[in-house]
This record gives sequence, structure tokens and C-alpha cells, in this order.
Amino acid sequence: MSSKSARKEILALFHQRGDDFVSGAQISRALGVSRTAIWKQIEALRKLGYDIEAVTSRGYRLRATPDTLLPGAIQAGLQTTLIGRDIVYLESTDSTNQHAYTLGESGAVEGTTVIADFQSGGKGRLGRRWCSPAGVNFYGSILVRPVIPSYCAPRLTFVSAVAVAEAIQASSGLPARVKWPNDVLIGGRKVAGLLNEMSAETERIHFVVFGIGVNLNMDAEQFPPDLRYPATSLRIELGRSVSRVAFARELLQQLDHWYRLYLQDGIAPVLARWQELFDLMDQQVEIETPQGPLRGVVAGLDEDGALLLRLPSGARERILAGDVRPLAGKE
Amino acid sequence: MEIKDLKALIKLVTDTDITEFEMESAEEKIVIKRGKGQEVIHVAAPVAQAAPVSAPPVAGAAPAPAAESAAAAAADEKYDIITSPIVGTFYRSPAPDADPYLDVGSIVDKGDVFCIVEAMKLMNEIEAEFKCKVVEILKENAQPVEFGDPLFKVERL
Repeated sequence: MSSKSARKEILALFHQRGDDFVSGAQISRALGVSRTAIWKQIEALRKLGYDIEAVTSRGYRLRATPDTLLPGAIQAGLQTTLIGRDIVYLESTDSTNQHAYTLGESGAVEGTTVIADFQSGGKGRLGRRWCSPAGVNFYGSILVRPVIPSYCAPRLTFVSAVAVAEAIQASSGLPARVKWPNDVLIGGRKVAGLLNEMSAETERIHFVVFGIGVNLNMDAEQFPPDLRYPATSLRIELGRSVSRVAFARELLQQLDHWYRLYLQDGIAPVLARWQELFDLMDQQVEIETPQGPLRGVVAGLDEDGALLLRLPSGARERILAGDVRPLAGKE
Repeated sequence: MEIKDLKALIKLVTDTDITEFEMESAEEKIVIKRGKGQEVIHVAAPVAQAAPVSAPPVAGAAPAPAAESAAAAAADEKYDIITSPIVGTFYRSPAPDADPYLDVGSIVDKGDVFCIVEAMKLMNEIEAEFKCKVVEILKENAQPVEFGDPLFKVERL
């Protein structure tokens, strides 16, 4: 019997027993292996995040099935060629972006992924915070080293936006939409926030970190009262929890797909998909730009991903930074 | 003369035993003098009427030549120019209510952050590649910058 199928059978025994203990002797008989071998597999399961209690003379009891974002759990069945080959899991960190950036500076390989259960300083644009309670959501940062000119790097924003929206749709069936440039919304409420950071010289990119926060199983009361934008989670939308591990795996696979597609075919297919996921076309919006607020009608995307806004004067403005907010009522 | 040509010229001179070099053309006069373990380079400013001699502005997304001329225009004899690697928005601080990363006169160590340039939520922290002193800040906070725009004038330390 392979170790993997042994662990599967042990878990099946635990599930039969519910909250009761299973003795080492019982497991040993059921599987036809020694108690030492059983002990080894229990240890292996613990490393995978299963919370298994052991009490002398009573045996083992499964206290909690993990939905812990452990590398082994995510990598089991992970189908990627670049992303997530190395996964670093942190129970707690200031910011996964910060951690990934530091790894990038010390030469970590492309695709290195940092995932945390809790962030004390999850960040957004302009020093804003990303609410990051423990045990419920996905907070991850993925390091890539694209061989493209630095001025092309902002295009990567659309790569991770499409990947996150696709991962949400695939794992929940919910209609995820994108808001320029890379927020992901469900029913107009923000479910994911993305912030990418780059280390580069004029000619050459050292690395880019894709920062991704997704509200998976957060409850309404866990959101801070002073949110800038209405927010939601998959759990709030679905009325049930989703598997964080399965979501993480799906997300890494989507990112792997869209990132490689971009490297191979350029940004056009990524922007085409992004526009299908974008529902503010021809809508009145207000954009809080670094130079002040602008109102107008969304006229589309430029070929580099800049947002085109038709101003009341009829002029077109190319937007490269800002918060987009839909205004009630059409033009 | 463009910065890269000037650099090449300095290297050419310093690779020899020549201690003093002078060159004059219609637009500029260049003097390179070498003291003990120290090079003194003087470039007389182009005549005011002359528009930047090199590289006409280039339209489109591959703006490398424009970048060089912009950098050259802002350059001075002993200063380096820190330029923007992307089109975006220039931020002098990590958050609107935070202190700026640096001011004129700040000493910047290798690896310290000069500023952030943001484009489409890609944040690019511009880091110092050598120790230097900030001589001039060439852009206002929260202003748009082009690829290759000069951001800081610094003195190498």
C-alpha cells in the first residue's frame, strides 16, 4: 500500500468514527500495516495540516480537517509549469508582497509563491490597508521574472486580474467581473484586490510581484466599518464556505495559464478576455485620479490597457491610475 | 552631446595617460581635466536657442531615444539623473499622508527608495543604485510622468 492510499484510508476511518477515537491497533488491522507505519502516516497527515489528537490507550482522533494553505495540500494535483513550483507558507506575516519582494531580491525562482494565513500589514494602493483576518481568506504573492522591457510591465496588471476572476468563476460559479484596472467584483461588490510591485531598471525587469487578496470565507461582520468600496466574500454570496486549498490551486493554475499566454502571444488575448469580464463599458463613472476627480463615460481600453474616458466636453482622456466608481444613471 | 557619448569620451580619455582634454563644436565645449585620483569634467551649456540637439520626440510606445535626450537636457557636469522606467504617476511618499521618502539634500544609500511610479496598479519603487545626494527633485508629487522622464538630479557620493 502506498503512503498516499494509506493516508486516505486512515482519513476514511476517522470520518467513520466522527468525534470518537480510533485505536492504533484498529487502524493497523484495517490497513494491514504495523503500528509504527501508522504512526508515520499520522505524522505525515499532521504535516499536511490535519489536526490529529493522540491519547495514550485511546488512540487517534481527527479534530479538524485542514483548510490550511499548506504547500503540500496546494501542490497535490497542481497543474502548472511556472507558478507555484515553490510555495512558502507563513502563518502570519506583515505583507506577502513584502515577503515575496525580499525573496525576489535574494534570487528566488520565477513562480515562487508566498501565501499567508494572516497579514498584519496587508497593503493596497497609496498605503491603504487590505483587511486580512486569519483562517478565512487567500492572501498570496507570486514572483515572476518576465523578460520584457520595463515599460511593458503595467500590462501584467491585466494578467492577474483575469486569472483571479476566472479562478473565482471556476471555483464558485459566481459571475466575477473586473473593474479597471484590476479589482474583482461580484454584483458590484469588491471580492478581490490586486496590487503588483516591480523591481526594475530602465532597461530590465528584475522581478514583478503579483499581490492577490481574495475574500473567500469572511463574514460580513469581519469587514471594517470604514470600507472605501462595498465588499463581499464568496461565502457571503454562496451561503457556504469554499475550500481555500482548492481555490488557491485553481488560482495558481489560472495565473500560470494567463501569464504564459501573455509571454507567448502578447497582451491582446488577455485584454480581450478582460473586456469580456468588464461591465462598465459605456457607463458614467467618476475616477479619482492622482490629479483630481474626473467624470465621464467609459469608452474602452487603449491597446496598452489604459482606460479611455470620454469627458463631457467630448474629449478623450487616457487614464493610467485611479479609483473608478460607477455613477448611478446612464449618460 | 548625449550622456552615453560623453561617458564613452570620458572612458576614452581616462584609459590613456592624457590629463587634459578639450573639444569645441558649434553647440558645446567639453573640457576634461584629470587631477590626482579625480576627474573634473566640464560641459558648457548649449546655446539657449538650440533645441535639444539629439533625438526628435518619438511617438508611440518605444520611447528610448526621447528618454535619453530628456536625461541629457537635465544633466549637468557632475550630476546623475534618475529617470522613470515606466509611464505612470510619480509619488514622493508611500501614502498621501506619509512623509516623503526624501527631500532635496537627503543622502540616499544604495537600495534606498527614491519614489514610487504607479501605472495601472503596478507600483514601481525606484531604488538608488549608488549612494548619492539629492540635488533637485524634478517632478511634483502625484504628477504624470513619461517613460524616461527625469525625476531626480543627484550627486554621486
